[in-house]
Amino acid sequence: MAAKRESTFVNMLSTLLVITLVAAFTLGSVYNLTKEPIALAKQKKLEEAIRMVLPEFERLEAIKIKSDREEDSLQFFVAYQADTVIGVAINTFSNKGFSGEVRIMVSFAPDGTIYNTSVLDHKETPGLGDKMQKNKSDWSNQFNGMNPVSYRLKVVKDGGDVDAITAATISSRAFTDAVQHAYDTFLTYQKEN
Amino acid sequence: MNQIQNLTKGFIKENPVLAQLLGLCPTLGVTTSAFNGLGMGLATTFVLVSSNLVVSLVKNFIPDKVRIPSFIVIIASFVTVVELVMQGFVPALFDQLGLFIPLIVVNCIVLGRAEAFASKNTVASSVIDGLGMGLGFSMALTILGALREILGSGALFGFKFIPGEMILVFVLAPGAFIGLGYLIALTRKLNK
Amino acid sequence: MQQLTISGSPHIHGEESVKKIMYSVVYALIPAVLISIYFFGWDAARVLLTSVIACLFFEWVIQKYLIKGSLTINDGSAVVAGILLAFNVPANLPVPIIIIGALVTIGIAKMSFGGLGKNPFNPALVGRVFLLISFPAQMTTWPVPRPLFAKAVTDAITGPTPLGLVKESLDAGKRLPEIMADPSMPDYIDRLTGNMAGSLGEMSYIALILGGLYLIIKKVIDWQLPVSIILTVFVFAAIFHWIDPMYYVEPSFHLFSGGLMLGAIFMATDMVTSPMNMWGRILYGIAIGLLTIIIRIWGAYPEGISFAILIMNAFTPLINRGFKPRRFGKIVN
Repeated sequence: MAAKRESTFVNMLSTLLVITLVAAFTLGSVYNLTKEPIALAKQKKLEEAIRMVLPEFERLEAIKIKSDREEDSLQFFVAYQADTVIGVAINTFSNKGFSGEVRIMVSFAPDGTIYNTSVLDHKETPGLGDKMQKNKSDWSNQFNGMNPVSYRLKVVKDGGDVDAITAATISSRAFTDAVQHAYDTFLTYQKEN
Repeated sequence: MNQIQNLTKGFIKENPVLAQLLGLCPTLGVTTSAFNGLGMGLATTFVLVSSNLVVSLVKNFIPDKVRIPSFIVIIASFVTVVELVMQGFVPALFDQLGLFIPLIVVNCIVLGRAEAFASKNTVASSVIDGLGMGLGFSMALTILGALREILGSGALFGFKFIPGEMILVFVLAPGAFIGLGYLIALTRKLNK
Repeated sequence: MQQLTISGSPHIHGEESVKKIMYSVVYALIPAVLISIYFFGWDAARVLLTSVIACLFFEWVIQKYLIKGSLTINDGSAVVAGILLAFNVPANLPVPIIIIGALVTIGIAKMSFGGLGKNPFNPALVGRVFLLISFPAQMTTWPVPRPLFAKAVTDAITGPTPLGLVKESLDAGKRLPEIMADPSMPDYIDRLTGNMAGSLGEMSYIALILGGLYLIIKKVIDWQLPVSIILTVFVFAAIFHWIDPMYYVEPSFHLFSGGLMLGAIFMATDMVTSPMNMWGRILYGIAIGLLTIIIRIWGAYPEGISFAILIMNAFTPLINRGFKPRRFGKIVN
């Protein structure tokens, strides 16, 4: 077996230099190889979420609308079919969740009726708050086809029309709040157009 | 020590999780389902085998005083490769494990095997050691994940075979501790 | 060769035995058992019977086939754990869930650690918290009492507990005078006798205090620990109430709601999991009271005494290190 190299300054420096160079080169090439698939996967995920909440569309236009209560603006995806707007999907969120942010995609028909909803990201309790996901329960379907003009976006306990998930009132409140957030911004958007 | 023993010692006798109690953070964190446990286990196995291979190859080249930083750079490179590849080609798995993949770098098993085994043994033994330890780790995580998935959601590998609601606590953090405790007790009984 | 038992002096034999202590706890629980059966009828009897029988069964099976030690099923500790577990759940809890609770109480919290005397956490509370986290919907659906001989039977089967009502209404932006006027808020007489929604055995404060007095007279528990818990809760609740009476309920409301009395008298005083020295016990009691108030006011759950006791159970060995009982015969300067 070859003798181990001494721990002299030059040896240590050269060793670390070689190792970090090799590592940097490897990572750089792997990054280049995976850059496209990663971007594609992200794009696909977003598109799937949009397609889930909107009817068939020909063209999609992404815009940002300043929300009236948060610093950040919300991302709008306006769907066109032969140059008429057939719906707007909004990437919205609420910070009132049981364990932080609840991010959902809500879509409205041009008259303000809620078309569909889909959960993008949340950290709610598995088995309770996660019933807001479509694949866990059909709780969120109660929003579909409702118009917030007459449909009060609050859980029943707070004097609204939304039936809360059993034992997960806070999560239901956050979901409802996110829809309200999207609706408020949607009204601002309609005023401007 | 023959190579078969070298491979199988990681399964039960020196199982990294259940006997050496190493790498408990990913063990407790990701094992909400058998699939997540298996995915994390295999990702760690890949890193373990690769880092053991490289460390045993360059062990004579690296001066003693800088061996730990060198090992960490090697391990971190492999982890980042796993992370990028997973993000690009299996995004569904990455969504579940994303948070925990970078933590493989600081998983004691990987550095532990590099320091305790690969830096002192031949290339062949090091690769086999990494493979055995990685498979032992995967086994422990898959069993714990399966246990929690069955008790917590009545399913296995996503296939729901018990209808209705199950014991929610097993999907949550306390369930990981309870399940791990009993698995460790069982391993100690088998090792007696 | 025969084994000889050797033990250090003094050789005076105490009158107490595990069995005697456990059965006096059972006697002390009888008034509360009767009251719960009066208010919840057949449901209460069903929960109590299931829980006690399941606890006894699991104790016997594990002792006989897994630990293979001498059978301790007669010492009454499984009966006490069974009754206390039943006291900590709603009366309409389905039987399979009670059985899971009993398995956790006896199997995980007690036998896994080696049986009676070796468990670091109060078994019945571990069972309750396990069920609370696992079955939140079932564990927080409280049946409204339907006294056995009452004529009027309303259809309102479930209702909120006073603590839950306060927490939820405060979260919804209401203030206390409005909440207290809510028709589902029971008055003080109902709260003292136990005529309100809640866990099976936590509500009848008169029955629980009677049982506690019996245990104190029989010297099974000392008075310092329950009193230090109750006093701490009272003092801190009073401070907060004084700061903002619109938001923080009055101190007596905290004393006579939720599981405070049950916890302070029967759960925190568990000999195995509480500190040995008197000053240690008082410190332990103060910490439990403080944690209870903190969880009730700021926590996610409306009731906090079970979490408070379990958290302090974990500190018991540390408290025991800090407050060592004086060695017999040691000269104090």
